[in-house]
Amino acid sequence: MIPSAFDYHAPTSLDEALTLLAQGGDDAKILAGGQSLIPVMRLRLAGPELLIDLGRIDGLRGIEDDGDAVRIGAMTPHHDIASSALLGEHAALLCAAARTVADPQVRHRGTFGGALVHADPAGDMPAPALVLGAEFVIAGAGGIRTVSATDFFEGLFTTAVGEDEILTHVRIPKHTGWGARYEKFTRVAQQWSIVAVAATVRAEGSAIAEARVGLTNMGSVPIRAESVEAALAGCALEEAAIARACASAAEGTDPPTDTNGDADYRRHLATVLATRAVLSAAGG
Amino acid sequence: MTSIPLTSPQGAPSDTSSAADGRIGENALRPDGTLKVTGEFAYASDLWMDEMVWGTTVRSPHPHARIVSIDIGPALATPGVYAVLTAEDVPGANAVGLEHEDQPVLAETVVRYKGEPVAIVAADHPEIARQAAKKVVVEYDVLEAVTDARAALDPASVQLRPSGNVVRHLKVRKGEELPTAAVVVSLDFEVGMQDQAFLGPESGLAVPAEDGGVDLYVATQWLHVDQRQVCSALGLPPEKVRLSLSGVGGAFGGREDLSMHVHACLLAMHTNKPVKMVYNREESFYGHVHRHPATMSYEFGAEPDGMLVYGRAEILFDGGAYASSTGAVVGNGGTLGLGPYRFPNVHIDCYGVYTNNPPCGAMRGFGCVQAAFAHEALMDALAERVGVSPAAIRKLNGVREGDVNITGQVIDSAAPCEELVQILLDMPLPAERSGADLLSLPGGVANSTHGEGVVRGVGYALTYKNVGFSEGFDDYSTARVRLQVIGGEAVASVHTAAAEVGQGLITVEQQICRTELGVGRVVVHPKNTQVGSGGSTSASRQTYVTGGAVKAACEAVRARVLAAAAQVCGHTADDLALDGGKVVARSGEVVLDLAELLGDAELFADEGVEETVEWRHRPTEAVDPETGQGNAHVQYAFSAHRAVVDVDVDLGLVKVVALDTAQDVGKAINPDAVLGQIQGGSTQGMGLALMEEIVVKDGHIMNPSFTDYLIPTILDTPPMLIKILEYADPHAPYGVRGVGEPPTISSGPAVAAAIRQATGKALRRVPIRPEHITGT
Ligand SMILES: Cc1cc2nc3c(=O)[nH]c(=O)nc-3n(C[C@H](O)[C@H](O)[C@H](O)COP(=O)(O)OP(=O)(O)OC[C@H]3O[C@@H](n4cnc5c(N)ncnc54)[C@H](O)[C@@H]3O)c2cc1C
Repeated sequence: MIPSAFDYHAPTSLDEALTLLAQGGDDAKILAGGQSLIPVMRLRLAGPELLIDLGRIDGLRGIEDDGDAVRIGAMTPHHDIASSALLGEHAALLCAAARTVADPQVRHRGTFGGALVHADPAGDMPAPALVLGAEFVIAGAGGIRTVSATDFFEGLFTTAVGEDEILTHVRIPKHTGWGARYEKFTRVAQQWSIVAVAATVRAEGSAIAEARVGLTNMGSVPIRAESVEAALAGCALEEAAIARACASAAEGTDPPTDTNGDADYRRHLATVLATRAVLSAAGG
Repeated sequence: MTSIPLTSPQGAPSDTSSAADGRIGENALRPDGTLKVTGEFAYASDLWMDEMVWGTTVRSPHPHARIVSIDIGPALATPGVYAVLTAEDVPGANAVGLEHEDQPVLAETVVRYKGEPVAIVAADHPEIARQAAKKVVVEYDVLEAVTDARAALDPASVQLRPSGNVVRHLKVRKGEELPTAAVVVSLDFEVGMQDQAFLGPESGLAVPAEDGGVDLYVATQWLHVDQRQVCSALGLPPEKVRLSLSGVGGAFGGREDLSMHVHACLLAMHTNKPVKMVYNREESFYGHVHRHPATMSYEFGAEPDGMLVYGRAEILFDGGAYASSTGAVVGNGGTLGLGPYRFPNVHIDCYGVYTNNPPCGAMRGFGCVQAAFAHEALMDALAERVGVSPAAIRKLNGVREGDVNITGQVIDSAAPCEELVQILLDMPLPAERSGADLLSLPGGVANSTHGEGVVRGVGYALTYKNVGFSEGFDDYSTARVRLQVIGGEAVASVHTAAAEVGQGLITVEQQICRTELGVGRVVVHPKNTQVGSGGSTSASRQTYVTGGAVKAACEAVRARVLAAAAQVCGHTADDLALDGGKVVARSGEVVLDLAELLGDAELFADEGVEETVEWRHRPTEAVDPETGQGNAHVQYAFSAHRAVVDVDVDLGLVKVVALDTAQDVGKAINPDAVLGQIQGGSTQGMGLALMEEIVVKDGHIMNPSFTDYLIPTILDTPPMLIKILEYADPHAPYGVRGVGEPPTISSGPAVAAAIRQATGKALRRVPIRPEHITGT
């Protein structure tokens, strides 16, 4: 299908973009890579009258060392994240997840910021961002504000980013030396996650010192499997122990039932994938 | 031809000419190939006329409801809207259909499935048409819907038709009524609703003509059967309803029934403007028939060594709201539903019923696909029970040439069941899993498995399919072939109405002309109704039947040319042949230049030599309704598959690592095209085994998109070893045997068998979902 008609602007500064956004009100939308917005417009689930393309604004794209964190511009495409050596060292989980997003074309067009603001429950970037404790830098008419990962994902396709705001950067606290694995379940190649588990682990000797485990598509927002994380702290690096710790991965979740799988099956997947992800993140 | 509008639309096909080499048996290049690869090929959705307007369809939101009232006022008042039409505006019979004219062009008093067309709108912009369609106010009185085929069969359930809910019940009876056997195996099996999933949505352009008729450019499988129905709905004679095939983006059976054909014509005639209609993807899921879902109960009896004694089956096809080709699907399910095996005693009941589900009709494999899952699973169960291998049980029981099959028909050409299975046994198995390559594991690039919980399984399937239309249908094709001089060169042109839907028919037509007429350049005329019917592009029949017609027309042309040559050169016509643009004697001596001969004004008129031939295969006959006995089919095509799978049993994920096959094609007219058909068909069958299903709940399609209707991608498709046998069928032109459907039938059951072997689970339903494997 073809989207309904819309105007298009490509401002060259953030201020200009914010002004256009304020003027456009409800009818205006930010366009990043367009890999979610354009399909949604083609399906007529959205019909913005004005698109404000962030693609020509300097400084929104790139991955930089920022002391105790890595700073990622909202317009950084998935491909750059997947292949970033800096992130590979300090936030390997993001690279692992980005590698599983769609296909090379989408990874080159789709952006980190777009994926986070779009907040698709089946999207692969939100859960890793959540468990890594990302800080979201949001620009609006009133200036810049920062939102923590726990407050960012508010619901189905909704985040803390207001209608008149723009996500400019995301700061990912360094998890240097942490092992990482993103286990994604799909039935055909290059599909959306039916369920996925993001795990990153700091091992000390023959035990797990700390672990972060996140769940994709097990509810309307990405979920941190806190009981698993707690059980993993100090857990021996062996399969049976890890499997025991991960047995509660689906506890308290309310996953969807749809043509891709019912809730019970999703809970089963979360448990199996969590075990595999943690084992593998721990180097097993 | 004078009646074709002076300006045909942009994107309408023109002559396809190719001077490339390629006779019968060679890999002739497809004239449409490069255009398709480079994106320049014009599909029906690309049709364009500057003055055209856009049509759109208002569809029922309910699976079953009475129409209380329709108010078109608000829609008609929308600026830019030219017409809003309902059933009242259908000038002819408001009833179309392939076998039974039971389907209204626009619903009159009742809607019988969700998505049924109720009104149509024409506007000067697709967006305005869509907005106006939303303003058509239809008041419905919702009725109880019958959405379970088993329930529909119950006489106590809501009867959807005056004649009841049964479209057809076919009985096949052979041998003893209650045979007994030492070994008895049985199972129930269920097959979900598969979609053809063609990429080019339903589309076409109707152009009103000055003579009060209409010209329709449309993507279809059978122009003349469309024409018949459009004429009847419009109340016009055939000469006023002219159809031309536009670029077809896949068909697989889903374009055998009408979609937007009559709607666009109605709007065009009403507005006196060209009207274009293109479905979007979701609408397409409601806009064409699907493969019948089936529930089946089978029982086989055998001797202790596995030799079959009897086969019993009850097969139930859910035909959905309208008959479409359900009757013929039941015919196939009944007459072919036990598979290519020797059964002395047979008892089959095959039913097709009306429900309020989406209508089902033709899809590649037509009734044999569903049955094959059941009979192949049961053959494996039998093998296991008697302690022989799956390959051995098939070799033991496979039919042979000269056998009398379950409907009493002698199989009078090659039936190489045993050989096909042996070829698979002799093919190398894929190497053991190599952990390093993610693509080789279940989940592939998605990362889900790194070898944990993975087990391997191997499965076999042996199946067959009738080629051509069966049960007494007058199955013919028409070809007009002309040989003339163009630019000093002898050129053949061929005109048939047989639809090229991507399978390569135009290449076959060219190859036959080159072979029979000894020329290089062959012009394929656009496909339209200006020549007699080519029959349907379905039932794997076009190379056979239209190929037969083109061959016969070429022979008639050649006879006239050689007779004339004989007059000039002193050889007898029998001693002459056409080759390399020359008339040559059997001795090899070049006697005459063909272009010069054709240019001889005393012998031939300017337009050269033209012959039109209507060609039929051997007649088939209707089967006895009580016993199913009769010579129902004209030809059988056999294939076998071996699938190798790796299954991650913890996740329920399957990776097909090899899908090898052997098939008898009689004669490979174009070996590359044969490979393409086998690769595509094998993948489509694998898709049904693993993931392709329209999920229908209470009459509603839950996944009408290509995000949610899963299709294997190239990354999910394994390498295939393909062995082609060429046992000529002496009754068929060049010995050909239909190629397109067999691989779709045998591949899925082989995949299912491999998963059963890997997991040890019964898995009596396809598609096999991950949770069927994990049991969660
Ligand atoms: C075929 C296909 C397959 C896909 N498969 C996957 C997959 O497997 N896994 C996965 O995670 N994703 C998948 N995606 C989605 C992809 O990751 C998108 O890139 C992502 O969801 C959105 O990013 P984008 O840059 O394209 O954003 P857009 O589509 O441009 O925007 C998405 C939304 O976010 C808003 N937005 C974007 N950037 C900002 C910003 N900086 N500030 C405020 N608002 C903003 C937009 O207004 C819009 O509402 C797939 C997409 C396609 C087309």
